[in-house]
Amino acid sequence: MLQPTAIVLQGAFLLVLFLFVAWVVRSTMRDLSRPDEQRVAGSPPADATGIHSAVTAGAAPSGVGDPRLVVERAPGHTPGMEYEIAGGAVLGRGEQAEIRLDDPYASSAHARLVLQGGRVVLEDLGSTNGTFLNEETVNGPQPLHQGDRVRIGDSEFLFVDS
Amino acid sequence: MSARNRELFGLLPASLLIVAGFGAVFLQERTQLNNLSLTYGAIFLGLCFAAHLIIRARLPDADPYLLPIIAVLASIGLVMIYRLNETLARDQAQWFVIGLVAFAATIILLRDYRLLERYRYLIAAASIALLLLPRVPGIGQQANGAYLSISLGPVSFQPAEFAKIGIIIFLASYLRDTRALLVSRKRYGITLPRLKHIGPLLLVWGLAMLMLVFIRDLGSSLMFFGGFLAMLYVATDRLIFPVVGFGLFGVGAWFFATTVGHVGDRISAWQHPFDPRLYEQIGGSYQIAQSLFAQADGGLWGQGFGQALISVGDSPILPAAQTDLIYAVIVNELGLIGSIALLLVYVLLIERGFRVAVLARDSFSKLLATGLTTVVALQVFVIVGGVTKVIPLTGVTLPFVSYGGSSIVANFVILALLLLISDRARREARR
Repeated sequence: MLQPTAIVLQGAFLLVLFLFVAWVVRSTMRDLSRPDEQRVAGSPPADATGIHSAVTAGAAPSGVGDPRLVVERAPGHTPGMEYEIAGGAVLGRGEQAEIRLDDPYASSAHARLVLQGGRVVLEDLGSTNGTFLNEETVNGPQPLHQGDRVRIGDSEFLFVDS
Repeated sequence: MSARNRELFGLLPASLLIVAGFGAVFLQERTQLNNLSLTYGAIFLGLCFAAHLIIRARLPDADPYLLPIIAVLASIGLVMIYRLNETLARDQAQWFVIGLVAFAATIILLRDYRLLERYRYLIAAASIALLLLPRVPGIGQQANGAYLSISLGPVSFQPAEFAKIGIIIFLASYLRDTRALLVSRKRYGITLPRLKHIGPLLLVWGLAMLMLVFIRDLGSSLMFFGGFLAMLYVATDRLIFPVVGFGLFGVGAWFFATTVGHVGDRISAWQHPFDPRLYEQIGGSYQIAQSLFAQADGGLWGQGFGQALISVGDSPILPAAQTDLIYAVIVNELGLIGSIALLLVYVLLIERGFRVAVLARDSFSKLLATGLTTVVALQVFVIVGGVTKVIPLTGVTLPFVSYGGSSIVANFVILALLLLISDRARREARR
């Protein structure tokens, strides 16, 4: 036997559920058409979740203005410090490195940045512990894009280009 | 509206659901229910609000829809459990407290979740040990032929729920490093990775098969292996991996179905649930057949809260109604309409999870979010598919809805990890 009030409450229960679904769907649709999220997500990535475009996307020359490497965290550096790298630079623990890393995991000449065809390219110099671009091991030259993270051992830098 | 205010607003539907659901059940069964039992819903809402405050304080940029979606799922579950048994509802509300503690601990201790990568082999070894724990004599327990839970004194829990998180973390970290190598070698026009790189992946396949033999549970091994294949696909962008993987899984499952008695029984119960011989047999098709009857009885609009016949005297009409068959109870009482709404909420959860993966910047986060989301999605598929006779029925929980401590706590950890990834991704995206 069903109580009339219980039936009304059950109707309300289902109504709230569907309204909730509609609310989330509507907000999701709006998110998808918003430009700032699109810039990040890109138009639907060609590969699953865009894992490959994460590193290689934005292949268009990034219009080199004033490329800099900003210290995120690094032993012996103040976070926020910036290095001009328009003329290229070597990162390492050694004396001749332009960007000196006071990091036990860094090799003396660890990685280098060179300007190629209007783009800054990151290259590992056969280091012992590897160079990481957005937390991925760098194998061969990798062009850098605005917002990329370069990590060597415990030192992390942000690449900015404007 | 800022993300956090949006999240707070999103908790409103959950509270309305609790009020309407508890109200309807209470009116319906007033004679048997304690007035105090209405407070269990209030406890739950308080916990949702606490979770919101934790996120507001620690993860200001995280996805605003994840918590409301989980809250709505958990409200549906709590209402159904309350309807089944008020004591279980109280226990479930208490499990939510522990789940919330695990949630808060994960968020606060793992400020930088990429730390997990450093301990990946430790995590993998611990997870495998957890998986095999139910077979250790003395603490392991067998239920319906499957070894899924262990009991330590008064507490019993299902280690597989936690192991799945650990294995996903390990795979995300492992595939992050090797994904380039897996696709780098081409022979005869197809991608053919070296044995050295594919070895650990074959190991995972072996593990899934081992689970089938040792734990004797097709559902959870499908869940693990499916999650693994999804991550492999995302990591390599080669369809060949999941295709070959499912083929291997099919071969293995077929082999064990024909040789291991318990798995074979499940399969024949699935194929012929209404066979009188199987229906009468202990551990036969009684559960799945009753589940189908209950769902058919629900119809389009359902029978109404409190109307499902759960047991007659001591003999259960719907065995394990609060865990395995909770979906059948929901269909019976809320009808097709209600179950569609429930499944839509799961679809939204999975959409948000994959969205976190798309927005994340580094591969580890992408793979971790993909893996965690896929495992939840597959868990829903395995249990809803089992209850509706799409695949053989196995005893996994309906995430956030079923009664069960380990499941609640583990799923809250998954939620915390997704929010952590999402917070980082969205903060970096804003810059």
